[in-house]
Amino acid sequence: MTKHTRLFLFVSVGILVAGLGTGLVAAYVGGFQNLNFLGSSSPDELAYLPSDAKVVAFANVREIMDSELHQKLRAMAPRNDNGMARFQEETGVDVTRDVDYVLAAIGGENAVAGPGQGHPLIIARGRFDTVRIEGLVRSKGGTVEDYKGVRLLTVAEPTGAMDAALAFVEPGLIAMGAQDAVRKAIDARQGGASSAAGNEELVRLVKEADDGNAWVVARFDALSSAGQVPSEVLKRLPAINWVTITGHVNGGVRAAVRAETRDEAAGKNLRDVLQGMLALAKLQTGSQADVSALIDSVELGGEGKNVSLGLSVPIEFIDRLASLRTAGGLPPPPDAPPAPEAPPAPEPPATAP
Amino acid sequence: MSARPALPAPPTFTAGAARVFGLSLGEMLWSRRTVFLVLVTGAPVFLALVARIVQGSGVVPLRVNGAAVDGGSIFGMMIWVFFLRFIVPVLGVFYGTALIADEVEDRTLTYLFTRPIRRGAVLVGKYLAYIVCTTLVVLPSVVLVYFLLVPLGQVGRTFLAFAADLGLLALGLAAYGALFALVGAALKRPLVSGLVFVFGWEQIALIVPGYLKRFTVAHYVQGLVPHAMPSDGVAAVLQSVLRDNPPAAVCVLVLAGIVVTTLWLGVRAVESREYVLDQ
Repeated sequence: MTKHTRLFLFVSVGILVAGLGTGLVAAYVGGFQNLNFLGSSSPDELAYLPSDAKVVAFANVREIMDSELHQKLRAMAPRNDNGMARFQEETGVDVTRDVDYVLAAIGGENAVAGPGQGHPLIIARGRFDTVRIEGLVRSKGGTVEDYKGVRLLTVAEPTGAMDAALAFVEPGLIAMGAQDAVRKAIDARQGGASSAAGNEELVRLVKEADDGNAWVVARFDALSSAGQVPSEVLKRLPAINWVTITGHVNGGVRAAVRAETRDEAAGKNLRDVLQGMLALAKLQTGSQADVSALIDSVELGGEGKNVSLGLSVPIEFIDRLASLRTAGGLPPPPDAPPAPEAPPAPEPPATAP
Repeated sequence: MSARPALPAPPTFTAGAARVFGLSLGEMLWSRRTVFLVLVTGAPVFLALVARIVQGSGVVPLRVNGAAVDGGSIFGMMIWVFFLRFIVPVLGVFYGTALIADEVEDRTLTYLFTRPIRRGAVLVGKYLAYIVCTTLVVLPSVVLVYFLLVPLGQVGRTFLAFAADLGLLALGLAAYGALFALVGAALKRPLVSGLVFVFGWEQIALIVPGYLKRFTVAHYVQGLVPHAMPSDGVAAVLQSVLRDNPPAAVCVLVLAGIVVTTLWLGVRAVESREYVLDQ
């Protein structure tokens, strides 16, 4: 091996070692807290959710809040932020800045809350002022206990009107929901109960949905039994097992809805039904250019048991909506703050006779 | 009459491959082909440097739909577009097919085959030299691109994806190299066949619905990428939703299988084929 070759090997290996070393140190110093979505394409927080969850939803709050679409919508319909300000004042949490992402689930054994759906459980990653939140819970008559090494804040009323819990399950990670759901989440994480991370079918669907900054994976029977689907539509739909909705919010919105049917015949039937509905929608919106363009952007696809619908709402479409509103085509948003009254024009100075 | 001194025992397959590796590595590193390799891997570094300078001057280097794209996303995009879709397969074709074909073309194969080592050891030694040569050029290039594009504050958060990128690029180089080493050992015009495979067959098979994509290397390499595929428009979204990426473990096993099987077949081909050198 010549001197040049040795020098080349030394420099190359040096760059590699320096790069990997720097990254490793940076990741270690950062506590590996944000590595959940890397390496595997499903969140680690699935380990907190019940294995028989019927609906799992995710929203990358940070990305959505920073998106151009959100900025535009805020400009179009300024919100009354009093509620948010009060929430921030009481909890120290600015939802627009301090929450990175939220994962929620509905379902789980022995869960009876809601229309047959089960207790909701919310897992949020972000920066939380634990002292302030604990103080707020205590001020509302809540109690603080240690549950399997996790600080658990509970608020319950004897009448059963209120049954909520919040647990600081990891640094920067909280679990909220009904007491039973939160306790089960802690059990699941510590291996005392089965978790969604062990449900292969659910993990597969979550991985497939994970390329958007918001997604929902739901058992279709959970949606239908909750009355989310009109019964007339339900009667005409073939057997669907799972529904996945993936959305990517940035300049505009790109969304894809995917349904997994019981068998290939049901998949074909569903594609036919949707094809018919799309054709009908195109017929009915033919005279409205904007809506027609939106319907035209819907693409139907899929093969075998899978059926998918893709939809893209470009930022230009949002802009057109905004211009319609400013032109008086749409009513102003109901919660827009009233415009301040213009100050009275000053009296012209009296001229001397 | 004195007895002849006994001839030294021929080196084992491994020792032979190691000798060829030592010989080939220097040759490969300082060949004209390496100039091409440096240019190809230097282009992303140059672009990353430009993006960094532009960003440093307060201008957003890349916008999609009017929204600024952060450094981490640009890095992910470069891994897809430059490294996975172009650099790795092209290096596999150019180097892999040349392992034996160059020796045939230069009429120097005879000198290697008359050494007291197995013919297969020549291919394996050269293949190992190819792995070291390409990974030690490509991976440092990726490291430089990463640190130029990704702000230091985001390094901790994106480190695992970065490490996965390095691993999958090395695995991709190994798989493509082994496949084209077989092509180079077995076919007469391996470069043309390799280019047709990479820029013809793989491109078509990947977009045709069905199982054809399983007969490409790219399908398994792409299955390991931790970044989202750069997409724009509904068709891309549908493609991403409908893509049936095999699990990471399956991808790694298949790629390892490709390396072992094609290298073994390449060794068989080199040991059994009669190479006719043009006069």
